[in-house]
Amino acid sequence: MNNVLSVKNLTKNYGNFVAVDHISFSVAKGEIVGLLGPNGAGKTTTIQMLLDITIPDSGEIKYFGKEFHTHREEILGRINFASAFNTLQGRNSTWENLMVFAKLYNVKNPKKKILDLLEQFEISDSINMRYWDMSAGQKTRVNIIKSLLNDPEIILFDEPTASLDPDIAEKTISYIESLRKSGDISLLYTSHDMNEVTRLCDRVIFINHGKIVAEDSPLNLTKKIGTAKLVLRFDGDKNTVEEYIKKEKKEYEFLNNYTVSISSEEKDIPSLIFGVSKQEIWITDIEVKKPTLEDFFLSIARTNI
Amino acid sequence: MKLYRILGVILQEYYLTLHSLEIFIDIFFYPMMTLIVFGFISVYVAGSNLVVAHNVLLGMFFWQVISVAQYSVAMLTLWNIWSRNLSNLFVTPLTVEEFLTASTLSAIIKSGIVFASATVISLLVFNFNIFIIGIDTILAVFVNLVLFAFSIAIFILALLFRFGPRIQALAWGLIALFQPLSATFFPVQILPTAIQPFAYMLPSTYAFEAARYGLAHHTIDMRSILMSFGLNIVYLLLSWWFFKIMFKKSRKSGQFARNEG
Repeated sequence: MNNVLSVKNLTKNYGNFVAVDHISFSVAKGEIVGLLGPNGAGKTTTIQMLLDITIPDSGEIKYFGKEFHTHREEILGRINFASAFNTLQGRNSTWENLMVFAKLYNVKNPKKKILDLLEQFEISDSINMRYWDMSAGQKTRVNIIKSLLNDPEIILFDEPTASLDPDIAEKTISYIESLRKSGDISLLYTSHDMNEVTRLCDRVIFINHGKIVAEDSPLNLTKKIGTAKLVLRFDGDKNTVEEYIKKEKKEYEFLNNYTVSISSEEKDIPSLIFGVSKQEIWITDIEVKKPTLEDFFLSIARTNI
Repeated sequence: MKLYRILGVILQEYYLTLHSLEIFIDIFFYPMMTLIVFGFISVYVAGSNLVVAHNVLLGMFFWQVISVAQYSVAMLTLWNIWSRNLSNLFVTPLTVEEFLTASTLSAIIKSGIVFASATVISLLVFNFNIFIIGIDTILAVFVNLVLFAFSIAIFILALLFRFGPRIQALAWGLIALFQPLSATFFPVQILPTAIQPFAYMLPSTYAFEAARYGLAHHTIDMRSILMSFGLNIVYLLLSWWFFKIMFKKSRKSGQFARNEG
């Protein structure tokens, strides 16, 4: 696969604090890679270095096989960035803000490009609205349109749905999904929303304390958790159920006198259900909660690697 | 440097100026009102001393050039910091050289408009014709004062990038230090003897001397103009060198990204 972005041994220290610690990864053409980690893990610092607004202490950043530092202008013309934390000029309208960036990227026929994108993102009616008068959802869409003006080959998204209402976040994700369908664009995506990441990303890189602690597809990462949760509601003696679970050496928690949550490997779940019912316990409801990326995220955050 | 990127930044400032009452007040209304007040003072003083009256008005005339040019350059960066848009600009292929070039070109246009407006007002209201000092003197003084304004602005921007908006007051406050030091309204000899050597270290001092010389003799004071220009080159080089160091430190320390909060 052709790598659009490759990073080797990237390091950044702020005094004694190690923000990014010798991380290496790559993003292939057309690939969506999630960059995840708890607050302060080093995600944003990594993104800032990948955009040349923060200078790394050491390491190598290459886009399209070219060294970023020595090909800055060319590379920045082929990539783009959108974040919930950066906004456009509040006093200027959508049209004015986008025209400025179209100029900076030397977009050919900028009027058509902007009008097409506004239509695609269903925001044509906000063309003359001042940026600071827009809703969060409208602003997010304008930010994404800004990031598409130069037909980038890779976009760096830094928590694009942060602080959005769930329905607007859902729409934003749909827009980002539509980007993927539209071509060979690559995305490097940071978010705290594991559902978003599971839905969008081909591969996930977990960072903690500046280091990459895991890297795989969302599905494979959830498999690493191993245990699922079996929630049983029953009509019968609580002590009988507890004795049986103890005998099976499973971790458990009674949510009330008639509901128990048992941690177990997925393959053992049928025999557990069967085993409980054999204790003359009437099972009234069964719920199996499979491990999610969030469980993996929490396990990493809690292990404090 | 790419012209289209410079024009992109100028376009942004054009839109901002259209929509911002603050910019209109700070760059056009306030300088005009100051000039009008000084115009009346000069009319009042003219009864007893016409030379002093004209020197005061001339000084305020040209002071607006420095003030507007410096303010304009420094404020464009601040407007982008306040809007959390500075990073967006610098993740495009825009270079800091292009950004500063756009800021300075825009500042020259604004200073020119203010100067032209002041010329008309002073002629119509106060019967003072700036052209009596000579077009060559006007141009030479204007260029030197704009260059000095750029040095100050670049110095302020260097601090702004390095230390963030906590020092933003310098963008509109620091310039006041140079008004008395440059002997804007009076000959340098009026300043205390201990201060005079510092005054002579500033290019603006020579530019104001040249303006007053033009008013008195209707000819250009080449010595002062050249001294001003020479010092301007030194100041510009120093401020640019300082800016490059501070800009790099800002990106190294992460302050550049933190500027937007």
